[in-house]
Amino acid sequence: MDEKQGQDRIPDTPLFDRKRSLGGYRINKMAMGLSKPENREAFKQDEGAYLDRFGLTPEEKKAVMSRNWREMVRLGGNLFFILKISAVDPVRITEIGAHQAGMEHDDFLRNRLGKKI
Amino acid sequence: MAKLIGGLGTSHVPSIGAAIDKGLRDTPDWKPFFDGYIPGQDWVKEHKPDVAVVIFNDHGNSFFLDKVPTFAVGCAEEYRPVDEGWGPRTIPPFKGAVDFSWHFIDTLIESRFDPMICQEIEVDHGIQVPMELFWGRPAEWPVRVVPIFVNVIQYPIPLPSRCYEMGRVLRQAIESYPSDERFVVLGTGGLSHQLQGARAGFVNPEADRAFLNDIASDPDKLANMSREQYVEMFGSEGAELMMWLVMRGAMDRDVVIRHKHYFVPASMTGAGMIVMENKAAASPAVAA
Repeated sequence: MDEKQGQDRIPDTPLFDRKRSLGGYRINKMAMGLSKPENREAFKQDEGAYLDRFGLTPEEKKAVMSRNWREMVRLGGNLFFILKISAVDPVRITEIGAHQAGMEHDDFLRNRLGKKI
Repeated sequence: MAKLIGGLGTSHVPSIGAAIDKGLRDTPDWKPFFDGYIPGQDWVKEHKPDVAVVIFNDHGNSFFLDKVPTFAVGCAEEYRPVDEGWGPRTIPPFKGAVDFSWHFIDTLIESRFDPMICQEIEVDHGIQVPMELFWGRPAEWPVRVVPIFVNVIQYPIPLPSRCYEMGRVLRQAIESYPSDERFVVLGTGGLSHQLQGARAGFVNPEADRAFLNDIASDPDKLANMSREQYVEMFGSEGAELMMWLVMRGAMDRDVVIRHKHYFVPASMTGAGMIVMENKAAASPAVAA
């Protein structure tokens, strides 16, 4: 993996490498916490306070609280972890995909996934 | 000695489990997908394996980023469904083939593979969905399992060729295991999909269909591909496909395909299934 340039070799395809794993550790740890029912409850009750427990930076906090999936991934969030946010605040994975692709949901289903809708 | 009776491959998309849970099996979106698995289920019913070795990846459920084993092998009495965020799914826990797991771990170490050893671990959709796709929803699973966890998320992930080599060691372990039990090996994950980045939603049906042929007829080609080639061709999460090589490495060079199925998209994924037998062991009518 050539990480020297700090760029992804395959366009628009962020590999979860050292840099992203280190950078995204707080977001991912916060999201991993949502696999416990008491943490899901805490997130629902007071999201900001829950995020603070994991030391998220203001930038990270903003990305999570605005459900900006593209930004969460840019900051090192890995989808397998941050997807757990959708267990608390439901959103379809195809909507998360469409958001990252910068497409309307129906266009995404048609043009990326080949669905006939 | 124990006997390998077949190599199975399948996707393990979590939406498949959710579709079963929500009773969506026979809806227009899902019926063609699930119907394609009926021949695979019939094969399993007919051949009655005792043990299923299942190669899959954890998806940030049983392992966090604090500890990431490249390869881990379960040797637990029981594997319960893990809470992935929606509460643990209400499917029966899997019974472990404990004695074989330890024998396999011994064989791995003696063959210079050094896995993490897991005596207590919960399991996610990576193993749940393949088991449901081949065995349905029994009150109790009719097979015991050996979970093999492969890290395909945190880079550096292992080389595809390493997965293939691990399959050869798995074969040795089965063939040297003093028992008359019948084994199947399940390679799981894929096929093409990408969940992250601006290329999210990438699927590659043409490459997927070629993979389902090559895994039978030209596994060396797949084993010699780089990790980047997997990502480029199958998407960032489609690199999971390299786990099918563990299954394939446990089989003979010459195999016959008994069943094959492809459907796209299951959620955001090109989904596929294959059932293979070693040609030498397949019934003459099939091998001819």
